[in-house]
Amino acid sequence: MRKETFALIIVCLLSPVARAQDGADRGGGSKVLAQESVRNQAEEKGDIRALGLIFDDALVYVDEEGSLLNKEQFLAHAANRTGAHLQWLVTPTMSVDVYGDTAVVAGSYRARGVEPGKPHQREGRFIDIWILKKGTWVCVAAQATPVQR
Amino acid sequence: MRSVLCGFLLLAFLAGSAQTAMPQEAQQRRVLALEHAWDRAVREQDVKALDPLLGEDLIYVEYDGTVMNKAQYLADVRMPRRQFEHIVSDSMQVQSYGQSAVVVGVYREKGVENGKPYLHQERFVDTWINQNGAWICVASQSTLMLH
Repeated sequence: MRKETFALIIVCLLSPVARAQDGADRGGGSKVLAQESVRNQAEEKGDIRALGLIFDDALVYVDEEGSLLNKEQFLAHAANRTGAHLQWLVTPTMSVDVYGDTAVVAGSYRARGVEPGKPHQREGRFIDIWILKKGTWVCVAAQATPVQR
Repeated sequence: MRSVLCGFLLLAFLAGSAQTAMPQEAQQRRVLALEHAWDRAVREQDVKALDPLLGEDLIYVEYDGTVMNKAQYLADVRMPRRQFEHIVSDSMQVQSYGQSAVVVGVYREKGVENGKPYLHQERFVDTWINQNGAWICVASQSTLMLH
Protein backbone atom coordinates (compact mmCIF):
# COMPACT_ATOMS: atom_id res chain seq x y z
CA MET A 1 0.00 0.00 0.00
CA ARG A 2 2.85 2.33 0.84
CA LYS A 3 4.32 1.79 -2.61
CA GLU A 4 0.97 2.65 -4.26
CA THR A 5 0.64 5.81 -2.19
CA PHE A 6 4.19 6.87 -3.10
CA ALA A 7 3.51 6.23 -6.78
CA LEU A 8 0.33 8.31 -6.61
CA ILE A 9 2.21 11.20 -5.03
CA ILE A 10 4.91 11.05 -7.72
CA VAL A 11 2.23 11.13 -10.43
CA CYS A 12 0.52 14.11 -8.78
CA LEU A 13 3.80 16.02 -8.38
CA LEU A 14 4.70 15.43 -12.00
CA SER A 15 1.25 16.23 -13.36
CA PRO A 16 1.85 20.00 -13.93
CA VAL A 17 4.83 19.12 -16.15
CA ALA A 18 2.77 16.57 -18.04
CA ARG A 19 0.00 19.12 -18.58
CA ALA A 20 2.47 21.64 -19.93
CA GLN A 21 3.94 19.14 -22.38
CA ASP A 22 0.49 18.02 -23.57
CA GLY A 23 -0.34 21.63 -24.35
CA ALA A 24 2.04 21.73 -27.30
CA ASP A 25 0.48 18.63 -28.86
CA ARG A 26 -3.14 19.58 -28.57
CA GLY A 27 -3.34 20.52 -32.23
CA GLY A 28 -3.73 24.09 -31.08
CA GLY A 29 -2.12 25.51 -34.21
CA SER A 30 -4.92 24.63 -36.60
CA LYS A 31 -7.55 25.76 -34.11
CA VAL A 32 -5.81 29.09 -33.66
CA LEU A 33 -5.58 29.60 -37.42
CA ALA A 34 -9.29 28.79 -37.69
CA GLN A 35 -9.97 31.44 -35.03
CA GLU A 36 -7.86 33.92 -37.04
CA SER A 37 -10.02 33.26 -40.07
CA VAL A 38 -13.21 33.75 -38.04
CA ARG A 39 -11.77 36.98 -36.68
CA ASN A 40 -10.95 38.34 -40.16
CA GLN A 41 -14.45 37.53 -41.42
CA ALA A 42 -15.97 39.15 -38.35
CA GLU A 43 -13.88 42.29 -38.90
CA GLU A 44 -14.82 42.42 -42.57
CA LYS A 45 -18.53 42.03 -41.80
CA GLY A 46 -18.43 44.27 -38.77
CA ASP A 47 -19.71 41.45 -36.59
CA ILE A 48 -18.99 43.04 -33.25
CA ARG A 49 -20.68 40.25 -31.30
CA ALA A 50 -18.35 37.63 -32.82
CA LEU A 51 -15.32 39.87 -32.23
CA GLY A 52 -16.40 40.27 -28.61
CA LEU A 53 -16.16 36.51 -28.15
CA ILE A 54 -12.81 36.16 -29.94
CA PHE A 55 -11.01 38.87 -27.95
CA ASP A 56 -10.17 38.50 -24.27
CA ASP A 57 -11.44 41.15 -21.86
CA ALA A 58 -7.81 42.11 -21.12
CA LEU A 59 -7.01 42.63 -24.83
CA VAL A 60 -4.19 44.98 -25.75
CA TYR A 61 -4.50 46.18 -29.33
CA VAL A 62 -1.95 48.39 -31.08
CA ASP A 63 -3.27 49.90 -34.29
CA GLU A 64 -1.33 51.06 -37.36
CA GLU A 65 -0.78 54.51 -35.82
CA GLY A 66 0.74 53.07 -32.67
CA SER A 67 -2.29 53.85 -30.52
CA LEU A 68 -3.07 51.48 -27.68
CA LEU A 69 -6.68 50.31 -27.46
CA ASN A 70 -8.44 48.13 -24.91
CA LYS A 71 -11.21 45.72 -25.90
CA GLU A 72 -14.03 48.25 -25.60
CA GLN A 73 -12.13 50.84 -27.63
CA PHE A 74 -11.18 48.28 -30.27
CA LEU A 75 -14.76 47.07 -30.71
CA ALA A 76 -15.97 50.67 -31.07
CA HIS A 77 -13.19 51.28 -33.62
CA ALA A 78 -14.08 48.09 -35.55
CA ALA A 79 -17.78 49.01 -35.60
CA ASN A 80 -16.92 52.41 -36.98
CA ARG A 81 -14.64 51.33 -39.81
CA THR A 82 -16.79 48.54 -41.24
CA GLY A 83 -19.52 48.72 -43.86
CA ALA A 84 -18.53 51.19 -46.55
CA HIS A 85 -15.14 51.83 -44.92
CA LEU A 86 -13.53 48.37 -45.08
CA GLN A 87 -14.06 46.61 -48.40
CA TRP A 88 -11.79 43.64 -47.97
CA LEU A 89 -9.06 42.29 -45.72
CA VAL A 90 -6.76 39.42 -46.70
CA THR A 91 -3.80 37.73 -45.00
CA PRO A 92 -1.51 36.35 -47.75
CA THR A 93 0.97 34.86 -45.25
CA MET A 94 0.37 33.53 -41.78
CA SER A 95 2.29 31.19 -39.48
CA VAL A 96 1.63 29.91 -35.98
CA ASP A 97 3.97 28.81 -33.17
CA VAL A 98 2.37 27.09 -30.19
CA TYR A 99 4.06 27.17 -26.77
CA GLY A 100 1.81 25.18 -24.44
CA ASP A 101 -1.29 27.28 -23.86
CA THR A 102 0.09 30.27 -25.77
CA ALA A 103 0.13 30.69 -29.54
CA VAL A 104 1.88 33.33 -31.64
CA VAL A 105 0.38 34.04 -35.05
CA ALA A 106 2.45 36.23 -37.36
CA GLY A 107 1.70 37.27 -40.89
CA SER A 108 1.07 39.94 -43.45
CA TYR A 109 -2.19 41.64 -44.39
CA ARG A 110 -3.66 43.75 -47.15
CA ALA A 111 -6.75 45.84 -46.70
CA ARG A 112 -8.76 48.05 -49.00
CA GLY A 113 -11.36 50.56 -47.96
CA VAL A 114 -12.70 54.07 -48.24
CA GLU A 115 -11.80 56.66 -45.69
CA PRO A 116 -13.59 59.42 -45.72
CA GLY A 117 -14.52 59.44 -49.36
CA LYS A 118 -11.03 58.42 -50.51
CA PRO A 119 -10.19 54.85 -51.50
CA HIS A 120 -7.06 53.47 -49.89
CA GLN A 121 -5.08 50.25 -49.84
CA ARG A 122 -2.88 49.31 -46.94
CA GLU A 123 -0.25 46.65 -46.40
CA GLY A 124 1.28 45.59 -43.14
CA ARG A 125 2.54 42.99 -40.71
CA PHE A 126 0.75 41.67 -37.69
CA ILE A 127 1.34 39.50 -34.66
CA ASP A 128 -1.59 38.15 -32.64
CA ILE A 129 -1.17 36.37 -29.31
CA TRP A 130 -3.68 33.72 -28.34
CA ILE A 131 -4.18 32.03 -24.98
CA LEU A 132 -6.05 28.79 -24.37
CA LYS A 133 -8.64 29.55 -21.68
CA LYS A 134 -11.12 26.91 -20.55
CA GLY A 135 -10.68 25.01 -23.80
CA THR A 136 -11.10 28.04 -26.08
CA TRP A 137 -8.39 30.09 -27.79
CA VAL A 138 -8.89 33.80 -27.13
CA CYS A 139 -6.84 36.65 -28.53
CA VAL A 140 -5.12 38.67 -25.78
CA ALA A 141 -2.87 40.90 -27.88
CA ALA A 142 -2.91 42.11 -31.47
CA GLN A 143 -0.71 44.59 -33.27
CA ALA A 144 -0.43 45.99 -36.78
CA THR A 145 2.59 47.68 -38.36
CA PRO A 146 2.33 49.29 -41.81
CA VAL A 147 5.04 48.28 -44.27
CA GLN A 148 7.10 51.33 -45.20
CA ARG A 149 8.60 51.24 -48.65
CA MET B 1 -5.74 4.56 5.68
CA ARG B 2 -8.12 6.28 3.28
CA SER B 3 -7.80 9.57 5.15
CA VAL B 4 -3.99 9.27 5.12
CA LEU B 5 -4.09 8.67 1.37
CA CYS B 6 -6.42 11.69 0.88
CA GLY B 7 -4.03 13.79 2.96
CA PHE B 8 -1.09 12.76 0.81
CA LEU B 9 -3.03 13.49 -2.36
CA LEU B 10 -4.01 16.94 -1.09
CA LEU B 11 -0.39 17.70 -0.19
CA ALA B 12 0.76 16.46 -3.57
CA PHE B 13 -1.83 18.61 -5.35
CA LEU B 14 -0.81 21.72 -3.39
CA ALA B 15 2.86 21.03 -4.10
CA GLY B 16 2.06 20.66 -7.79
CA SER B 17 0.12 23.93 -7.86
CA ALA B 18 2.94 25.78 -6.12
CA GLN B 19 5.36 24.36 -8.68
CA THR B 20 3.43 25.90 -11.60
CA ALA B 21 2.16 29.10 -10.00
CA MET B 22 5.04 31.53 -9.56
CA PRO B 23 3.61 34.61 -7.81
CA GLN B 24 2.25 36.89 -10.49
CA GLU B 25 3.96 40.01 -9.16
CA ALA B 26 7.35 38.29 -9.05
CA GLN B 27 6.76 37.05 -12.60
CA GLN B 28 5.97 40.57 -13.80
CA ARG B 29 8.97 42.09 -12.05
CA ARG B 30 11.22 39.47 -13.64
CA VAL B 31 9.89 40.13 -17.13
CA LEU B 32 10.23 43.91 -16.70
CA ALA B 33 13.83 43.45 -15.56
CA LEU B 34 14.47 41.43 -18.72
CA GLU B 35 12.97 44.22 -20.84
CA HIS B 36 15.44 46.67 -19.30
CA ALA B 37 18.29 44.19 -19.81
CA TRP B 38 17.25 43.98 -23.48
CA ASP B 39 17.49 47.78 -23.87
CA ARG B 40 20.88 47.80 -22.19
CA ALA B 41 22.17 45.02 -24.46
CA VAL B 42 21.00 46.88 -27.59
CA ARG B 43 22.55 50.13 -26.38
CA GLU B 44 25.88 48.37 -25.75
CA GLN B 45 25.56 46.14 -28.84
CA ASP B 46 26.06 43.24 -26.46
CA VAL B 47 24.80 40.30 -28.50
CA LYS B 48 26.10 37.81 -25.93
CA ALA B 49 23.85 39.29 -23.26
CA LEU B 50 20.92 39.52 -25.66
CA ASP B 51 21.08 35.97 -27.04
CA PRO B 52 19.67 34.12 -23.97
CA LEU B 53 16.73 36.54 -23.76
CA LEU B 54 15.43 35.54 -27.18
CA GLY B 55 13.75 32.31 -28.25
CA GLU B 56 15.25 30.35 -31.14
CA ASP B 57 12.00 30.86 -33.10
CA LEU B 58 11.79 34.57 -32.36
CA ILE B 59 9.64 36.63 -34.70
CA TYR B 60 10.71 40.25 -34.69
CA VAL B 61 8.77 42.94 -36.57
CA GLU B 62 10.61 46.26 -36.85
CA TYR B 63 8.73 49.60 -36.82
CA ASP B 64 8.93 49.79 -40.64
CA GLY B 65 7.41 46.33 -41.14
CA THR B 66 10.70 44.49 -41.67
CA VAL B 67 10.45 40.93 -40.34
CA MET B 68 13.50 39.28 -38.80
CA ASN B 69 14.32 35.96 -37.21
CA LYS B 70 16.66 35.68 -34.23
CA ALA B 71 19.90 35.47 -36.26
CA GLN B 72 18.92 38.45 -38.41
CA TYR B 73 17.93 40.52 -35.38
CA LEU B 74 21.18 39.75 -33.53
CA ALA B 75 23.15 40.66 -36.67
CA ASP B 76 21.20 43.93 -36.82
CA VAL B 77 22.08 44.72 -33.20
CA ARG B 78 25.75 43.84 -33.80
CA MET B 79 25.99 46.07 -36.88
CA PRO B 80 23.34 48.73 -36.40
CA ARG B 81 22.35 50.88 -39.34
CA ARG B 82 21.86 53.70 -36.85
CA GLN B 83 24.08 55.30 -34.24
CA PHE B 84 22.21 55.26 -30.92
CA GLU B 85 22.39 58.14 -28.50
CA HIS B 86 19.52 57.23 -26.25
CA ILE B 87 17.37 54.12 -25.86
CA VAL B 88 14.68 53.67 -23.25
CA SER B 89 11.47 51.70 -22.75
CA ASP B 90 8.78 53.07 -20.49
CA SER B 91 5.03 52.99 -19.76
CA MET B 92 5.29 49.21 -19.64
CA GLN B 93 2.36 47.04 -18.57
CA VAL B 94 2.61 43.28 -18.10
CA GLN B 95 -0.26 40.81 -18.43
CA SER B 96 0.53 37.36 -17.03
CA TYR B 97 -1.03 34.18 -18.36
CA GLY B 98 0.55 31.35 -16.37
CA GLN B 99 3.65 30.37 -18.30
CA SER B 100 3.52 33.37 -20.61
CA ALA B 101 3.47 37.14 -20.26
CA VAL B 102 2.62 39.95 -22.65
CA VAL B 103 4.35 43.31 -22.26
CA VAL B 104 3.10 46.45 -23.95
CA GLY B 105 5.15 49.62 -23.72
CA VAL B 106 6.71 52.60 -25.42
CA TYR B 107 10.23 52.44 -26.86
CA ARG B 108 12.08 55.68 -27.50
CA GLU B 109 15.22 55.77 -29.56
CA LYS B 110 17.29 58.81 -30.39
CA GLY B 111 20.30 58.74 -32.66
CA VAL B 112 21.81 59.45 -36.05
CA GLU B 113 21.11 57.61 -39.28
CA ASN B 114 22.92 58.47 -42.53
CA GLY B 115 24.21 61.63 -40.86
CA LYS B 116 20.72 62.79 -39.88
CA PRO B 117 19.40 62.91 -36.32
CA TYR B 118 16.20 61.02 -35.61
CA LEU B 119 13.83 60.30 -32.76
CA HIS B 120 11.55 57.24 -32.91
CA GLN B 121 8.69 56.66 -30.55
CA GLU B 122 7.34 53.16 -30.99
CA ARG B 123 4.60 51.16 -29.28
CA PHE B 124 5.77 47.59 -28.78
CA VAL B 125 4.28 44.29 -27.70
CA ASP B 126 6.66 41.56 -26.51
CA THR B 127 5.56 38.02 -25.69
CA TRP B 128 7.57 36.07 -23.13
CA ILE B 129 7.37 32.34 -22.42
CA ASN B 130 8.67 30.58 -19.34
CA GLN B 131 10.72 27.62 -20.59
CA ASN B 132 12.24 25.44 -17.89
CA GLY B 133 12.31 28.34 -15.46
CA ALA B 134 13.85 30.86 -17.88
CA TRP B 135 11.82 33.62 -19.52
CA ILE B 136 12.50 34.06 -23.22
CA CYS B 137 10.94 36.44 -25.72
CA VAL B 138 9.31 34.63 -28.66
CA ALA B 139 7.65 37.56 -30.43
CA SER B 140 8.31 41.28 -30.58
CA GLN B 141 6.65 43.92 -32.72
CA SER B 142 6.86 47.70 -32.89
CA THR B 143 4.70 50.34 -34.54
CA LEU B 144 5.67 54.01 -34.92
CA MET B 145 3.49 56.26 -32.76
CA LEU B 146 1.97 58.92 -34.96
CA HIS B 147 0.17 60.77 -32.15
